Amino acid sequence: MSTQDKVKINKLPTGVPGLDEIVGGGLPEFSFNIIAGAPGSGKTTLAHQFVFANATPEHPALYFTVLGESAIKMLRYQQQYTFFDPAKLPGSIRFINLSQVVLDKDLGAVLEQITKEVEKANPAVVVVDSFRTMVRKPQSDMELQAFIQRLALFLASWQATTFLIGEYAEDELRDNPIFTVADGLFWLRQAAERNSVVRKLQIVKLRGQDSVPGLHTFRITDAGVQAFSRTFGLTGHAKNPPTHRRLSFGIAELDKMLGGGVREGDSVLVAGSSGTGKSVLATQFIAEGIRRGEPGIVAVFEERPQAYAERATSLGLDLETPQKDGKLTILYLRPLDLSVDETMHSILDAVQKIGAKRLVIDSLAGFEMALSPGFRADFRESLYRMIFALTGIGVTILSTVEVDESFTEFPFSTYSISFLTDDIIRLRYVSIDGQLRKIMVVIKMRGGNHAKDIREYEITSKGVVILGKRLTNYQALISGIPIHSDGADATEEPSLDTGSEHKS
Amino acid sequence: MTAAPEMRDLARRLLTYEADAGKSTEPMEPPTLRVYEKLRQSLGELVGVAGFQSLASRALTLSRPEAPGLSAARVTEDGYLQGLGEIEKQFDKDNDRAGEGGIILIARLLGLLRIFLGETLTLSLLRNAWPGEAFDDSNSAHGRKS
Repeated sequence: MSTQDKVKINKLPTGVPGLDEIVGGGLPEFSFNIIAGAPGSGKTTLAHQFVFANATPEHPALYFTVLGESAIKMLRYQQQYTFFDPAKLPGSIRFINLSQVVLDKDLGAVLEQITKEVEKANPAVVVVDSFRTMVRKPQSDMELQAFIQRLALFLASWQATTFLIGEYAEDELRDNPIFTVADGLFWLRQAAERNSVVRKLQIVKLRGQDSVPGLHTFRITDAGVQAFSRTFGLTGHAKNPPTHRRLSFGIAELDKMLGGGVREGDSVLVAGSSGTGKSVLATQFIAEGIRRGEPGIVAVFEERPQAYAERATSLGLDLETPQKDGKLTILYLRPLDLSVDETMHSILDAVQKIGAKRLVIDSLAGFEMALSPGFRADFRESLYRMIFALTGIGVTILSTVEVDESFTEFPFSTYSISFLTDDIIRLRYVSIDGQLRKIMVVIKMRGGNHAKDIREYEITSKGVVILGKRLTNYQALISGIPIHSDGADATEEPSLDTGSEHKS
Repeated sequence: MTAAPEMRDLARRLLTYEADAGKSTEPMEPPTLRVYEKLRQSLGELVGVAGFQSLASRALTLSRPEAPGLSAARVTEDGYLQGLGEIEKQFDKDNDRAGEGGIILIARLLGLLRIFLGETLTLSLLRNAWPGEAFDDSNSAHGRKS
């Protein structure tokens, strides 16, 4: 059968930011879906968003309320959300209370009442909230199965896209006829972890649709449910073709050490202990990009954007003007309870808004601390997804990471994440001639050759400045406590880099 | 505390409308009952019989201090209003005017709707029940304890 011969399934917008991507582009029209989860997990809100996004006077929605949350209180609370448009009631959305018929009669009468209302209104969307309370009366499995089959068949025949909402526990997933009949099963979870609440959504099944598997973070705000796909909404984006372009740091000597600069689309890790200049290097990287017409994003977790920009000013780097010109965004991602997916969503929005080519994450330690404890356990995995997604669209990422200085080891990162990065630049203190000085070395460059030199550098009013040539006459420099080879001069041709590369 | 003036005005409008509309029907039902029934049907669909019954009972309780004549009235389990004798007496057939007790009862019911659903949804409900009437939401006053 050719593609043209296949039936076309229209996709309806879910009305939930991020969810269309997760369900594979939208909800299949005429599908029969279940939204399951514990009380307070956001089931009703999600259904309302779908209803308000799709109901029109020509294609109205019927919202059947049954025992459970009082309809008047539900409307009272739901209208606090920004998506709730009272003008759509009752012309486009009709709420119908079925409590009495459920209480007084059997499932046959309930079906009859639903049938009557559906035939009268000819709705495009039907919601039953809560379906669980409707089928709670004692009845045989066969009766229940027959009721669900007839309901699903009737609503599909009447060309209605349906949501049944129910409070279900996960162990009820097996042997329940409703889950067998359903085309789509949306499971909402929330769990308290330490002092945080983590909400996750799973599309357990969705017939005829290529949904994104796994657990997706979601949040409920005054705009309703907002979902964050594990693939960060980038499944539809083609990976940018690899380029051979090298991106400059604005520090000529460092660019040379990197074989001409960082390869575009790489993930660079700058590792070092406190005060070694990681943030300074990151700032120079972003400023040089702006100078060359490459917009940038800086995601900061440990200081506010204003403070970050002021510190750049003290290095002679202007980050205020590019922010005003829309060439730079400094994102301050509010601490605590974030998920990587939410953070990514903010970063991606900013990347797409200004067409960013360079991204600085300063720092990974701050990023981790900003996450809810439940997400910290998945930090490496999340970071992998994030870096893969962003570099896939051609963004070059520079992350800073603080490492504990040790005089017996030379660690690159406390996160064991070096496998995630293409390039690693290591900064460290070293004790030379009675002074605590700083050295820099390029540990790894996945895309090609790099200098093997260990270079001394200083942080001046012009930023990171690499001194002279490579340090010689020392053994075991990377230990931090080198041994002088001959007792002669410590460096060859000591000279100060003028820093003339960055006249931004 | 008495029923809010704007709710009284709205109730009076509805009762007058029904009094006018009722002239053409025989036998003529009291306008209070006609308004109440329209609200019962419209609200019942939205919030269920039990939901409406609760609101109507509350409205009746709130009305009694202002309108002692309502003491004989009661809301049945299925939401109907019974014992409207006093209200019917207050209904001045010659002047086509509804009695004060009826105005207070309907005003209290509308006041509860405004508290729980907000003004926009309440007016939307009224427009649905009285398609021929024009309601405006200029007299905005947010929900408060009756």
